[in-house]
Amino acid sequence: MRRQWLKVLGLERFSGLYLWAMFIVVFGVWTPSLFLTTGTLHTVASSQAAGAVLALAALLPLAAGSFDLSIGATANLSGIIATTLQTGHHWSVGPAIGAALAVSAAVGAVNGFIIVRLHVSSFIATLGMGTVVGAVLVMVSGDEQPGNPTSAAWTHLTDRLVLGFPIIVVYMLVIAAVLWWALQHTPAGRYIYAVGGNAEAARLSGVATDRWTWLCFIGSGLVAGAGGVLYTSFSGPSLTFGTGLLLPAFAAAFLGSTQIHPGKYNVWGTVLAVYVLATGVQGLQYITGVQWLNDMFDGVALIGAVAFAVWRQRSGGAHAQAAAPGEDAGADGAETDLGSSPAAAGAET
Amino acid sequence: MARWLKHIDTRGGNRGAAPVSGHHVAPGETALTVSGLSKSFPGTLALDNVSMEVAHGEIHALLGGNGSGKSTLIKCLSGFYRPDAGEIRVDGEQLQLGSAQSAHRLGCRFVHQDLGLIDDLSVCDNLYLGEGFPSVAGTVRSRRLAAAAREDLARVGLSDDLDPRELVGEIPAAAKSGVAIARALRPSHGRPIRLVVLDEPTATLPHDQVTELLAMVRAAAGSGVAVLYVTHRLEELVGFADACTVLRDGVRVATTSAAGLSHRDLVHLLVGSELDDVHLALQDLHPQSDATLEVIRVQAGVLRSASLTAHEGEILGIAGIAGSGREAVLPAIFGEIPRSGVVRVGNAELKPHRPRDALRARLAYLPADRKIHGGIMSLPAGENLMLPDAGKYWRRGRMQARLETEEVRSWFSQLDVRPADAWEQPLGEFSGGNQQKILFAKWLRFKPRVWLLDEPTQGVDIQAKAELHRQILKAAAGGMAVVVSSADNDELLALCHRIGVCRRGELVRTLATNSLTSAVLMREVLADAHTDGRLSGETAVA
Repeated sequence: MRRQWLKVLGLERFSGLYLWAMFIVVFGVWTPSLFLTTGTLHTVASSQAAGAVLALAALLPLAAGSFDLSIGATANLSGIIATTLQTGHHWSVGPAIGAALAVSAAVGAVNGFIIVRLHVSSFIATLGMGTVVGAVLVMVSGDEQPGNPTSAAWTHLTDRLVLGFPIIVVYMLVIAAVLWWALQHTPAGRYIYAVGGNAEAARLSGVATDRWTWLCFIGSGLVAGAGGVLYTSFSGPSLTFGTGLLLPAFAAAFLGSTQIHPGKYNVWGTVLAVYVLATGVQGLQYITGVQWLNDMFDGVALIGAVAFAVWRQRSGGAHAQAAAPGEDAGADGAETDLGSSPAAAGAET
Repeated sequence: MARWLKHIDTRGGNRGAAPVSGHHVAPGETALTVSGLSKSFPGTLALDNVSMEVAHGEIHALLGGNGSGKSTLIKCLSGFYRPDAGEIRVDGEQLQLGSAQSAHRLGCRFVHQDLGLIDDLSVCDNLYLGEGFPSVAGTVRSRRLAAAAREDLARVGLSDDLDPRELVGEIPAAAKSGVAIARALRPSHGRPIRLVVLDEPTATLPHDQVTELLAMVRAAAGSGVAVLYVTHRLEELVGFADACTVLRDGVRVATTSAAGLSHRDLVHLLVGSELDDVHLALQDLHPQSDATLEVIRVQAGVLRSASLTAHEGEILGIAGIAGSGREAVLPAIFGEIPRSGVVRVGNAELKPHRPRDALRARLAYLPADRKIHGGIMSLPAGENLMLPDAGKYWRRGRMQARLETEEVRSWFSQLDVRPADAWEQPLGEFSGGNQQKILFAKWLRFKPRVWLLDEPTQGVDIQAKAELHRQILKAAAGGMAVVVSSADNDELLALCHRIGVCRRGELVRTLATNSLTSAVLMREVLADAHTDGRLSGETAVA
């Protein structure tokens, strides 16, 4: 009975939208002069865009059943390379960004090599790689924060409005759309989700599991690099921003897997999750003015999202049983391969 | 903690005294009476006015396909479901519907497929884990424990064969089931056990150990307890069960005495004459002469050597008991596991351990374990079906959903998958038989030249089995070379033109099935077989 109501209201797929609307209404009523302004809209939209890109970088390997914990470090390295090349070596914007993205993709390729060829678990491989990339960051930067490039092309890269909207949000939406298309509308996406669902069964079905895993890590590095460039252009160069973006990225990807296509890591769910969290944080910050909200929110969201996904799966099993009563199916349904789902992936970590 | 400290003698000393039989009513008197039981779920009537009786000392088989209502019936007995109407009585006492405690108190016990034993603990520890150990001042009295365990094991005739101090993980599969049954039979708090429900106890048992398990169930019934025995394997009922009740679509279609009932009669009760018709079709197949699959001295793990050929339009069987190397034959040929030796499809030689190469040569493989290797349970059934050729409908930068749906729909109807329109549901939510049909469709769609099937009908009900067999025969008739590896000798005899026999890691010989009987094949499979000595020694001759 309750399930039916959930379905009617779309709560199973769109609970995030409801939560978002609730945040907006509550904070709008509470502090209308602060919260319900285009300023707030722009701040939230643009300050979270780079974070959303990072979440998408986390999403790609997750879809293939792997973790990439090096995305934060990769993004940071990418941002620093892009700025250092401009300020220290007088490169122009285009090549500097190109080089940054190439290095990021290379980091992803090395991740892929370690995981696919050396058979190291992705968790360990990228945890180690993140630290290595951190060391490379110090080598590249000499542990000194590079100055902000002053060229108009660099400052205008993210600091512009398109149709009254910050352009950085548009960049993010373009990256999201490309990933959505790749995961949802190409055979590649099918193969990637198959690898994530059950790598051995996928391999026996003729899916080139190693190749897709590798590609996901290269893609993840590339997207993380793009996120780093966007962040640096928007907020200025920093040697430490990467670590801070890692956890929120995973929180959003996990929370996203409970939205739009529940039980599946998906692009729009992830983007939605980023903005729901950001809106909540922003509103609460206006009301309370405390500094620890961000971390608290992200941590609670990560745990909450995974707990929710696990709960959904468990009750989902019972649901399947009730829907197919008396069938021996019931037992089978409840035994769905747990290792393959977002919930379990999160539960294992 | 308190349970563990409980002294055994505080429970009335009934364990020390006479065994269960003392508490039992004479065999023949009704132990379980189910009358007018109905249970509906949204959209379905799972049980429709079902009545049945089971007497003390009787082994009563409960048969039915997936969705026939037998699981629902059992769950009503155990108190997991609360029926909408009807009455359940145990020795005349009314069971409080929907109450697990009441079922337990009235002496109803349930042994599920997952036996609930802990492999790392000894037989005794497993027997007493839930009940509390005999102890003095918190110290377990191990001699007392062993004696009590022996007495429990005696109820299933296991006491002479099994040392209760052995680890459960190290005893044969049949003995494990025996331990679980023995544990279920032990009276608790002075109340006797009246009814034991065994839910497909042989489904996961190696074929050569079934006889031992059946003997244990017989011994249990001999002590006066009523046994309700649920199974898919009809062949084990003849000469074993006293009576059987057949359910179809929630309705009891027959209750009959099992004496004199043949395997064929049982099948007819369940599905009509379907399976016979399927197998008659085998006569019409005429294998071609050129070998499509050639396997020469393939070696992989326990498999020391296997050579075989399969021809266009031929169905080749592979028989062998657990540990004979049979399980490795198909994975090695396909490339799931590393191997040495030569595998040729047509004229092309395949590299070992390269599934993609095998598939490129149009050699397809259906793994034995559909949950772990066969399907991706979390993904939609349709996506599983399309996976080996997912790019077929990728046009103009998009997957053409309509065309895909059309093809999936047609496969669903060809193989009679149910529910027929649920291809967007995760594969894991389908019943075992339907999962297997979907995986069949996945490979039939791939149109292989050679199709390797490992345990193609394991754990599926009889209707699904008939459908799957029909598909195998149809594929072969269409010119495919099919290799079926199965622990079920009757399945091989019914399906195959020739049967290769694996023994002690070697594929020793290939027999034509036209003059082969079940008994001869059994002897071939078991000849010289490594016997466990303790339990399987007897069956080797049978």
